[in-house]
Amino acid sequence: MAHSLLKQLARGWSVQIRVIHALMIRELTTRFGRENIGFLWIMVEPLLFAGLVGLIWQWTKGPEEHGVTVIAFAASGYIPITLFRHGIGRSISAFTANGSLLYHRQVKVLDFILARFIIEVLGGMMAFVFALVVLASVGEIPVPDNIGTMIAGWTLYAMFCLSLCLVITPLSEMSEVIEKLVPVITYITIPISGLPYMVSWMTPGVREILLWSPFVNGMEMIREGIWGDKVTAYYNIWNPIVFSMILTLIGLALCRRVRRELAVE
Amino acid sequence: MITCRGIYKSYSRGSRRKNVLNNVNLDVGRGERLALLGRNGAGKSTLIKLIGGVEMPTSGKIRRDMSVSWPLGLHGGFQGSLTGYDNARFIARIYKRDYFEVKNFVEDFTELGRQLAMPVKTYSSGMRARLAFALSLAIEFDCYLIDEIILVGDQNFSRKCHYELFEKRNDRAMILASHSPDTVRAMCNRAIIIHNTQATEYDDVNRAVETYINL
Repeated sequence: MAHSLLKQLARGWSVQIRVIHALMIRELTTRFGRENIGFLWIMVEPLLFAGLVGLIWQWTKGPEEHGVTVIAFAASGYIPITLFRHGIGRSISAFTANGSLLYHRQVKVLDFILARFIIEVLGGMMAFVFALVVLASVGEIPVPDNIGTMIAGWTLYAMFCLSLCLVITPLSEMSEVIEKLVPVITYITIPISGLPYMVSWMTPGVREILLWSPFVNGMEMIREGIWGDKVTAYYNIWNPIVFSMILTLIGLALCRRVRRELAVE
Repeated sequence: MITCRGIYKSYSRGSRRKNVLNNVNLDVGRGERLALLGRNGAGKSTLIKLIGGVEMPTSGKIRRDMSVSWPLGLHGGFQGSLTGYDNARFIARIYKRDYFEVKNFVEDFTELGRQLAMPVKTYSSGMRARLAFALSLAIEFDCYLIDEIILVGDQNFSRKCHYELFEKRNDRAMILASHSPDTVRAMCNRAIIIHNTQATEYDDVNRAVETYINL
């Protein structure tokens, strides 16, 4: 009994992995086409964004702030936040946009969210590694002090973004108001995203508040992983884990409910 | 075997709900050919979508103990911005079929030639029908869900469909939503009329067709 259940589960998994793989390839061909650099655009988009903002910061703030180079600091903050903003942006109305593929029973609505998110994560991580290599080779950034902490920070940050996508996607299908509000909300979250500062630069009162944000916790870990002792990082790994778990549960329940009601043309 | 038990389906529009199907019960065994008759908007396509798992019933259970195709009609199943070949590749991937076999069959059956390398959104409905049929035949299902609209192709296409579906695969089950008495009489051995959210089953196709004509 338990054995056959396990077998069924394994078969279900292999089907979903096949579907996600097919959806990712489909997504990449529709979004980037086959011309010029093709799918490498997923990496170039965040890189351009982080690079240009870094240059502007360097120009306005000078090359170094709080003992770290400004351009590297901008890159370490902007690439993860691009993941968050693109991930959420891609989530809006993802079910209806892909509706015609729901004609195939093995395609589940969760596959749409996962396929799109995996693409964003791959793009973000590739851009991040690329930026690290380039900046390290010109001496703008040190070789990461602790790669493990950096990757753990990235993982927690990405996990929280995914759990947000799981909630936002069904909500955007339920109400058009949410769909319209999302761009505004992603914009006003910038102050709690951990992007332009380290928590240690703040007063203790502000610090307390900021550390409630899962983004900040993830970002602090990424930066500690890169700069090590040169910066003071404050974080609690349980914050993003707990928030992600709660949002994931809510998101899965919402997805299930929306799928039952979803009208497919 | 496909078993539908106590199927209800309603759609909500704001605060209002529209009932489409009320307590539909239905069995389709292997090799059976069931016609769905009903006036426009009666709920034929809705029932086909529910059986195909495209939409979920508001309540009730649907069991599929054989492989069931996706609903073949003018909508759905394809990504319009992708080419015919890309769609074929996608479908071969998710149904775990060899792409080259699928591709050869599709090229042969659709006779669309270079059009297959164009986005599906540029296809006429006849061309879409050819592609949808070719793909579902290449995958091979035990039961085909068909909206009759799709069968209205040119002579050459009708002949091919007829041969592939009704002669070569005459052991397969089929659920056909139809308005045409002739098609139903010729192809089906059972019929269901959907009228005022209720489904009534007829073992005698001729009687079903007569009742339907007088609706």
